[in-house]
Amino acid sequence: MNNTQEIFPMLQAVHLTKKYEDGLLALDDVSFSVNTGQIFAMLGGNGAGKTTTINIFLNLIEPTSGQTKINGIVSHENPLKAKEYVSFVSENVMLYPEFTALQNIDFFVRLGGKLNYSKDYYRKVLLRVGLQEDAHNKKLKGFSKGMRQKCGIAIAILKDAPAILLDEPTSGLDPKAGLELIRLLAELRDEGKAILMSTHDIFRAKEIADEVGIMNNGKFVMIKSREEIEHEDLEKLYVEYMAGYMEKVA
Amino acid sequence: MLNLIIKKELKEIIGSSKFVYSFAVSALLILLTFYVGAKTYQINKSQYDAAVAENIRSMSGITDWRMINHKIFLPPHPLSSLVSGISNDIGRNIAVRGRGELSPTDSKYNEDPIYAVFRFLDLNFLFQIILSLFAILFCYNAVNGEKEKGTLRLVFSNAIPRDKFILGKIIGSYTALIIPLLIPILAGCLLLLIMNIPMTGEDWFKLFLILIAGFLLFGVFINLSVFLSTIVQRSSSSFLLLLVVWIMFILIIPKVAVMIAGRAVDVPSVDEINSKKNQYAQQISREFMNKMSNFKASPSADIMKEFQKFMEKNNTERDDKMKALTEKLNQERRNKQDVQENLAFTLSRISPSASYSFVTAELAGTSLNLVRNYREQAENYQKTFAKFQTDKTGGTTGGGMTFVIRTEGDNKPPEIKPSELPKFEFTQPRLSGSLSSSLSDIGLLFIFNLIFFGASYMRFLKFDLR
Repeated sequence: MNNTQEIFPMLQAVHLTKKYEDGLLALDDVSFSVNTGQIFAMLGGNGAGKTTTINIFLNLIEPTSGQTKINGIVSHENPLKAKEYVSFVSENVMLYPEFTALQNIDFFVRLGGKLNYSKDYYRKVLLRVGLQEDAHNKKLKGFSKGMRQKCGIAIAILKDAPAILLDEPTSGLDPKAGLELIRLLAELRDEGKAILMSTHDIFRAKEIADEVGIMNNGKFVMIKSREEIEHEDLEKLYVEYMAGYMEKVA
Repeated sequence: MLNLIIKKELKEIIGSSKFVYSFAVSALLILLTFYVGAKTYQINKSQYDAAVAENIRSMSGITDWRMINHKIFLPPHPLSSLVSGISNDIGRNIAVRGRGELSPTDSKYNEDPIYAVFRFLDLNFLFQIILSLFAILFCYNAVNGEKEKGTLRLVFSNAIPRDKFILGKIIGSYTALIIPLLIPILAGCLLLLIMNIPMTGEDWFKLFLILIAGFLLFGVFINLSVFLSTIVQRSSSSFLLLLVVWIMFILIIPKVAVMIAGRAVDVPSVDEINSKKNQYAQQISREFMNKMSNFKASPSADIMKEFQKFMEKNNTERDDKMKALTEKLNQERRNKQDVQENLAFTLSRISPSASYSFVTAELAGTSLNLVRNYREQAENYQKTFAKFQTDKTGGTTGGGMTFVIRTEGDNKPPEIKPSELPKFEFTQPRLSGSLSSSLSDIGLLFIFNLIFFGASYMRFLKFDLR
């Protein structure tokens, strides 16, 4: 972590609760924060509430109660202002299949408010995320999931927002691409970005996260720091917490 | 921001291979429509000229104006070749006599039934069938497709107001689809000039309005597609739903409206009216025969002249009676037809496609009014012709008998000069008339656009972006 950066909570969830119209309680009083220069990994099975949390941060849905804050701005109260401080990489980055990588990047980066970047800078960032030069002018429809994911990361980097949200970023990637992504996230953290990622990947989470939260049924059943889990078997912890929680619920 | 979204839509649509193929087909059909229209006009014009010449030629050698078989013909009009409307269904030729009822015969489809099977390629077909599907093809997944692709979530992870996004999407789609289509349309107009189709300034303006109406219909389908893509979750479902709506608008509603009106308002058939006319004709014929059997010439008078006078008087009397009945029956039928048409047209206006048909046919002069206009102008011409015949011969041709007696030793009368015959000039409806009849439908198309645009806009503000 770059210690010269001022540390303060860039992403915050405060008593976040979400109950859907069908009665499903997706989030139940969830609170956590992600500081600048920190990676927070949300672990959990399907339906645990990870994506719902990210959707509330992005104001794609509104919380039933509680709030999310980006750089201190409440997402659902002032969404346009809040979203200026956040980039997002989804699980399955699709982008526009008829656009080339550069065209897609140009569109999304401009949408993010960065209007003055040159094509050369786009290329530089694409190379940084590992997308070979010969793919820059190719249409996205021929890209593999890993290549599309790299474009998504490039967009997030180019937006240069202080916070990054990643929804299952390593899902479906081959080990090499997964490793490259993790290294890149570490670089971004060192640049002072606050990163919130949801993942199923316990090993990657342990490898990179400064804090790991295990979610189940819309609640954090454990939040531990890197130091606390450094010498522990996270997989065992995960299973134990999940099992313990299930027993408790039962 | 809005510009960025509009540009993205433009690039996305125009850059897709789907656009290349669809545009190529549409452009080809547009050019073909103009070419076929121009060629049809040229063929119809030469057939018309030949028919008029043949009509004059058939009078050569005739020495009495009462002996001619005179016909008038509906001249072709360039716009009626581009929007055929009912112009191919109605009789174009009318045998004109000095009196009696006029019946148009020989429609285009009657002469060349093969064209009736699949009908002509015209602007109406182009916009209603081809370009409306073109709009659906590109906009059926405007919103739900973005959600399926995952791009909507990525777009709205940025500080984008929803209203700007949907506005940009609709404007972008409209621009991307309409501007390229203007190229073949302008080329088509150029084709009309190259092929020397005689279009007046008024005709060009009418064509311009027809195209505006076409693009309004096109806009309705774009807005409708965007709207359905905001209320249906899956793009495949919105495509199917749009096809159903398209079928309803284009094929079902106009036909059902006519069927309902047909059931609701009973219009006597032509056969019923003819039967009544025949009965009455037989009755007055019997009366006439009785009168004729009682005819006695005065001893001092020229028997032939007196008989001629008697016949003329009775023929006129008989014609007046027949005319009065015919007018009464026709008027009753026309009144009921008007009620039926009004009902059918009002009901069919639920479909924007019907409104578009009314606008184009009205502006091209090929609406149902063409039948009335042609009949009215033919009837007016009949009066001119009757006066001409009377001036030339002292009597007119029509129902009944005419006796012409020539005795040996008389000088052979001189041949008639067909060039003296008054010319039948069909006058197209004036722009002001066509415009006032079609403005309500143009307004309706505009309202359809506003409704679907407003609905898409409002719906998207509440759209689930996840």
